[in-house]
Amino acid sequence: MADRPGGLCSHIAEQRDLVMESYKIVISFLISPESRENLEKRVQRFKCYTCESVGARCRLHACLQCCYVGCRLYNHSQEHHEESNHHVAISLSHGVLYCYLCAEYVHDYEFDIIAIKARQRLADFLDLNEFVRSVPLWNPKYGELELLSLQPKRMRVDSKTPIGLRGLYNLGNTCFMNCIIQCLTHTPFLREYFLSQQHKCIRSSPADCLVCEMCSIFQEFYSGKIFPHVPTRLLYLVWTHAQHLAGYEQQDAHEFFMATLNLVHKHASGTDIPYSGGCNCIIDVIFTGSLQSDVVCQSCHGVSTTIEPFWDISLDLGQQTAGDSRKPRSLDRKKLTDCLENFTRAEHLGSAAKIKCSKCNSYQESTKQLTFKKLPLVVSFHLKRFEHSKLLHKKVSTPIAFPQQLDLSPYMAKPEEQEEADPTSTSHDPSFSRPHTYSLFGVVIHQGTLQTGHYTAYIRQSPNGWFKCDDCEIKTATIEEVLNCEAYLLFYHKKYIEYAVE
Amino acid sequence: MNQELSNRIRQKLVATGEEERLKELLKTRLLSSGWRDELSAVAREYLKAKGVQHVDVEELQNVLLVEARKSIPDTVKKELLVEIRDFVMQHEGIL
Repeated sequence: MADRPGGLCSHIAEQRDLVMESYKIVISFLISPESRENLEKRVQRFKCYTCESVGARCRLHACLQCCYVGCRLYNHSQEHHEESNHHVAISLSHGVLYCYLCAEYVHDYEFDIIAIKARQRLADFLDLNEFVRSVPLWNPKYGELELLSLQPKRMRVDSKTPIGLRGLYNLGNTCFMNCIIQCLTHTPFLREYFLSQQHKCIRSSPADCLVCEMCSIFQEFYSGKIFPHVPTRLLYLVWTHAQHLAGYEQQDAHEFFMATLNLVHKHASGTDIPYSGGCNCIIDVIFTGSLQSDVVCQSCHGVSTTIEPFWDISLDLGQQTAGDSRKPRSLDRKKLTDCLENFTRAEHLGSAAKIKCSKCNSYQESTKQLTFKKLPLVVSFHLKRFEHSKLLHKKVSTPIAFPQQLDLSPYMAKPEEQEEADPTSTSHDPSFSRPHTYSLFGVVIHQGTLQTGHYTAYIRQSPNGWFKCDDCEIKTATIEEVLNCEAYLLFYHKKYIEYAVE
Repeated sequence: MNQELSNRIRQKLVATGEEERLKELLKTRLLSSGWRDELSAVAREYLKAKGVQHVDVEELQNVLLVEARKSIPDTVKKELLVEIRDFVMQHEGIL
C-alpha cells in the first residue's frame, strides 16, 4: 500500500527526480506524443518487448529505470521486475505510476500535472480540443474539498434512483401551476442550468426574483426529500407579478406556463419585451424558436416573408362536424402530425382580407403559409381544447395521438437557395438530411369540463421511466398510458444537440 | 481478419494520430452515456463488499473487464466501427 493516499510511496519517493525524468520521456514519446516524429516512434515502441503483443488488452507497462516495455497479460512486465530488480513502471494505457514493491498504482499531483499538460499539447497538436475540453472532469479545488467535507452525505444516482420526483401540495385550485412545475423541473436543459447554479440574480432582491425561486424549486426537487413540496413562494411571486393569475379561481395551465416563461425571461434579462432579439437568457436559449410566414400574392406570385419568434405552438384540433364523421378516416385517431400539417398548410386569406402586395403594388388576394424557421431546444404544443367563440364556449375532447419521437423536418421552412436549385441536388447535403427529431418528456392533461376540472401531468424522469404527477401523488406510469391520454400540453426536447457554431 | 493486416491498420492509426482522436472520442461518448459512472459504481460496490484492503488492482480489473465490455452501449460501438471503417477506406493503401 502507498504510505498515504494520493502520494508517492517511499520506494518511488527515494528516487523521485530520476523517476520524474524518465516519466516525462515516456509521457512525451509513448503516451501523449506531441509531434509526427514521436507518433512514428511510438509505432515501433508501443508493444511488449518480449512477446511483441500490442493493444489495450495487453496492459503494457514501461519500466522507468531502463528502456523496457512489457505486458501484464503474459506477465512480462512482472518478469522484467524480477530479473532486473527495477520496481518503478508506468501504465501506458493510463499514464499512472506503478510500484512493484507495493504492487500498487501510485498517484502524485506533480506527476499528474505533467501528464495532463502533455495531453493538452497533444490535443492542440492533433486538434482534439473538441473532445478534451467538452467533458472536463471535475477536480475539486481546495475550497470545494472543504465544502465537501462539511457535507458528508452522499447520494449515488443511477437509472433507478427516484431523484427529481416530488409531489406538490395543492394550495387551493393550484393544480394548473403544479402540472407546469412538474414539466419545467423535468426539462433537461433547464435542470442542467439551474442545478449548476448558472443564474446570477440581477434584481434588487433575490426574494423578488422568479428565476431565483425556480432555482430553489429545482434544488428542492432534486434534494432527495420524499415528502411533498409546498410551492407558496412561487405562487406568491406569480400573483404579485402576473395579476391576472391571482386569486383562488381555477386558471388555465397554458396561460400559467406562458406567464412563467415571460416572468422568468423578464427577471433574468431585465427586459420587458418577450423574445427580444439577442437576449441570451435561459428562456430564450431553450424555448425561443421562429416561424416563417410567407404571404404569396395570387396575382403576381410575389412572396413577402416575415419571421416571428415563438415560445410555444398552439394547434387547432379541427372541427368535429357531422361531415367529418361520414368519412371512413375519422375512425382513426387524429394525429398530432395532422394538426401540424394543418398548421403549416398554405391558407387562403379570402377576398375580404386583401393585402397590399409590395411587388405589384395593389391590393390582392393572397395565401399565407407558416413554417418553422428555427426550432427551439424545447418545443411545447398547446392543443386548443378550450374553444371560445362569440356563440359558444366548449371543451373539445377529440383524442389526438402523439408520438414519443417526433420528426419536425417536414414542417421546416425550405432553405432559400433551394427554390432555384434542382430539389434533388440539395437532398444529399447532410445539413438538410439531418432530422429534426424531438423526444417527448412531459404531457399535461385536463380532466373535467370547461367550468371545473383538474390538471395532472405525465413526466419522463429517466430515459424510460414515466410518472404521473397528481398534486401530492406520484405514481409510476407506462408509456402506453401516456400516449393514450387526452393531452392538453405536450413538451418535446431536441434529441440530437449540435455543437455551437463559433 | 488476419493478424498482419490488423497490425498494419493499427500502426497507421497510431502514426496518423487517428488512434488518439478515436480514444478521445470514445472517452467522451462513454462519459456522456453514463458508462463510466455505472462502472465506477460497480467497482465501489465490489470494494465495499470485500474490503478495500483485500482487493488488488489485478483482481478488480478481472472482475470489471467482463461487465465493462458488456455494458458499452451499442450506439457507441457502432459509431466507433464506422469511424474505423471510414479511416481504412481513406487509406486504401493499407489493404
